Amino acid sequence: MKKSLYFSLLFLGLLAAGCKKGFPVDEDGLLITTRSECYVSSFEILGADYQTVRTKAAVIDTVAQTVNVEVLFGTDLKNLYPQFTLVTDAKLDPKIPGKVDFSDLANPKQWTVVSGNRKVRKTYTVNLTVQKIN
Amino acid sequence: MKNKYILYVLGLFVLVFTGCKEKEYEVPTAPSELQNDLIKRSLGPSIVGLDIEFAYAMALLPEKGKLATATVTASIAGAAGTYMDNKFYSTNSSGTEVGTVVGSPSVNSGNTTTVTYNPDISAATLRYFYRVPEEARGKEVTFTFSVTSTNGETNSYKSGPYPIRRMDVKKGLVLKDGTSSFLSIADMAVYDATFAAANPTKIDIVYLYRTLATVTFNHSLVAPTANAEYRPGVTLPAGLTNKTKLIKAWDIRDAQLILVNNLATSIFVDDIDLQQRNFNDAPDFAINTRAESGVWVETADGKYRAYIYVNSVNNAAKEMTVSMKRLVMK
Repeated sequence: MKKSLYFSLLFLGLLAAGCKKGFPVDEDGLLITTRSECYVSSFEILGADYQTVRTKAAVIDTVAQTVNVEVLFGTDLKNLYPQFTLVTDAKLDPKIPGKVDFSDLANPKQWTVVSGNRKVRKTYTVNLTVQKIN
Repeated sequence: MKNKYILYVLGLFVLVFTGCKEKEYEVPTAPSELQNDLIKRSLGPSIVGLDIEFAYAMALLPEKGKLATATVTASIAGAAGTYMDNKFYSTNSSGTEVGTVVGSPSVNSGNTTTVTYNPDISAATLRYFYRVPEEARGKEVTFTFSVTSTNGETNSYKSGPYPIRRMDVKKGLVLKDGTSSFLSIADMAVYDATFAAANPTKIDIVYLYRTLATVTFNHSLVAPTANAEYRPGVTLPAGLTNKTKLIKAWDIRDAQLILVNNLATSIFVDDIDLQQRNFNDAPDFAINTRAESGVWVETADGKYRAYIYVNSVNNAAKEMTVSMKRLVMK
């Protein structure tokens, strides 16, 4: 009898420890960390055939918060797949669920990088240009 | 209690010793009846004009009799080119298949294809090639393989049903810049400017090859409506107005569209791939189309969808060889 009482207490103790509040997560279920760094480290952009359409490496200015990328002549601008690489623990807002229409070159697309601690937000503008035929 | 344990231990010993007993290998006794078995050798969707290939194995103990005939009955008669090989194949030391004749060439009669064996054959595996006929498009085909022997026995093997796709296949179309550069999806054919001028509504795609100083243009497929900068130096015949939708693709090397067998691929474009492809916002040009790449196509009237696979390109000759799978959508 005494033994089962001990087991019950132990079980309750485990339950209580299990309910202890863990690490905080954000609305996407991603871990909120202490990192405040907030920048884009690299950028790729793929065409409808999932092959790169860059003519050269994208130029990322973390101060001006811009990504300047030139794409190949003949790129289908309505069906592109941008890919951002961010600093550790950061995330992108809005998310990129699929293809993106970049055809309105006069109004560049913007994405916001959110730091690991979710307190710093920096909006990057992706300036896309098309390789010119001379 | 003690006795119980002793009994358990003894039991365990018995199990261990019987488990370790060595068994002599015995050659399995062959069944005395006429045997048969089947595998389907060809892969991928079954398409009108292409072959479905099977290997049908038959055997009978020599003392019981010999093989007499091998027959395949298809639920829909095969097209011209349907046959059963009258040889069985083995592989020599160089890895080359060597055929040995075991009967007379196959005879087609209605839905059946028959090989009559030579008098002394006890076992053979014969290959059957069913050329899918037009009548089978969109239907299902089943096969009954049967064998008879000289002692009067018969055996058979049913296979299928195999759904036949609605799509068409055309291989090895050669597009040549400046001459045969007009492609019709409806006809699955390449035409010159004279034909294009006479039949402008048939032309869906124009091929051109350009080497430009500042951009990579190379081998390109464009709709007649494509912006002039996407077809530099091309003067289109009057009346070409089809705004064909083109989506570039890579790494879809369809095994039924390749022209050389040394390209290892097990990818097959099926009806459903064409039906479900989203052509919203698709452009009317595909610039720098490389060998072994492809283009998804929807004609301007939406009647046809196709997957064009680029078999090869030739810069010097300004040529592109393509193969396509095409589906009628409406």
